[in-house]
Amino acid sequence: MKSITTTFTKGLWTEIPLFRLMLGLCPALAVTTTAENGLGMGLAATFVLVCSNVLVSALRKVIPNEVRVACFIVIIATFVVCVEMLMKAFFFSLSESLGLFIPLIVVNCVILGRAEAFARKNGVVLSLADGLGMGLGFTIALVVLAAIREFFGAGTLGVVFGERVFIDQPFVFLQEAPGAFVALGLVLGAMNVLGKLGKQGR
Amino acid sequence: MGSSIRMIIVLGAITVVSGLALGGLNKLTYQIAQDNILRFKKIPAVADIYEAASGELDAAARVKVEEELLAEKQFVDLGGEGPLLFFVIKKEGKPFAVALEDFGTGFGGDLGVMAGFNLETGDLVGIGITTLAETPGLGTRVLEESFTMQFRGMSRGAVYKVKKDGGDIDAVTGATVSSRAVAEGLANAKAFYEANAEKIKEEIGF
Repeated sequence: MKSITTTFTKGLWTEIPLFRLMLGLCPALAVTTTAENGLGMGLAATFVLVCSNVLVSALRKVIPNEVRVACFIVIIATFVVCVEMLMKAFFFSLSESLGLFIPLIVVNCVILGRAEAFARKNGVVLSLADGLGMGLGFTIALVVLAAIREFFGAGTLGVVFGERVFIDQPFVFLQEAPGAFVALGLVLGAMNVLGKLGKQGR
Repeated sequence: MGSSIRMIIVLGAITVVSGLALGGLNKLTYQIAQDNILRFKKIPAVADIYEAASGELDAAARVKVEEELLAEKQFVDLGGEGPLLFFVIKKEGKPFAVALEDFGTGFGGDLGVMAGFNLETGDLVGIGITTLAETPGLGTRVLEESFTMQFRGMSRGAVYKVKKDGGDIDAVTGATVSSRAVAEGLANAKAFYEANAEKIKEEIGF
C-alpha cells in the first residue's frame, strides 16, 4: 500500500517530471523566458493534471481498456479548454504571453503519462496526491528554469521585483531556444551533483 | 460484441458530458473574454492608428487616448450580422478617420486586422493587428513595426495583396501565410468600408 505522503513527495524530487523523468520538455523550454510565464504554465498544467488524474481514477473501472487512451485524451482536452477559457476571461495578459502553449498542454506527456502510469491503477485520493505532487514539481522546475533564464538572460525578475533591472548587459543567449537547452543541461547537472552529495552525506 | 458496444457507449458518454460542460463554461466566460479582447487587443490597435494619424504619443498620453477610444466606441446597424463596432479617430477635435476590424485566414485561424480609413479620401491611415494565433517567432512577426508601418498612408488605389500575389504589400520573410492573412483582412475591411461608407458617415454626422 502506497502512502499518500510518499506519493505526493516523489513528484517534488525523486520523480520531478522535468528534471528526472524528462517529460514535458517542449512547453518547458518554450515558455520559460520569464519566471511569471513559467509559473503560469506550471499552475495551468497542475490544474489539468490534478483534474484529469482524479477523473481518470474515478472512471478507471468504467473505461474499457481498448479505448482508454482516447478517453484519457478527451478528459485531458476538456480540462485544457476549460483552463484556456478561464485564462482568457480572468488572466488575459498571461494567456496572451503563453499563447499557443496553453492548448498544447493537451499533448503534454506529463499529464497523459500520469493518467496511464498512475491514475488508471490507483484510487482517487492517491491519484489526487500524485497529480498535486507531480504538478507542483513541474511548476517548481519551470519556475527555477525560467528564473535562471530571465535573471541571466534578460537581467530582470519581473514576478518579484517588477521593472527592476539587475544586469545591464544580460546574457541574451539564454533567452533564445538554444539557451533553454543549455540552461536545462546546467540545472540537470546541478541536480545530479546535489543528489550525489546527498547520498554521500547519508 | 458486448465489449465493443460498451466502448462506444463509454467514449460517447464522456465526449457528450465534456461537450456540455465546455459549452456551459463558454457561455459563462465568453462575454468577459470578449471584453478583454476589446480592451487589450482592439483598443491598442485603434490607438496605433490614432498615432499614425496624429503622431507618436508617450505612454501617459496613450493611456488617455485608449480610455477615450473605449468610451467613444460606436455601433452602426448595417442589417448584417448584428451591429458593427467601429471607432472614430479625431484629429484636432474633428472626425478624421474611422477604424473597423475584419479578418483574414492565417496559419492558426482567424487573424484580426483593425484598419483605419481617412473619411475624406478613403486612403488607409494605418493598421493594427488585433487577435492572431500564428506560430510564435515566425508568423507573429507581422506584429512588428517594420511590417505594419508600410500601411501608413497607403493609397486607396493600392492593391492590397502581398507582392508575391501581385500586390503592393511587402510580406515578412518566412511568414508569407501570415502576411497574406493581414492583406486579406485588410482587403476585407476596405471592401466593407467602401460598401458602407455612406451609412457610417451618416451615423457620425460627417
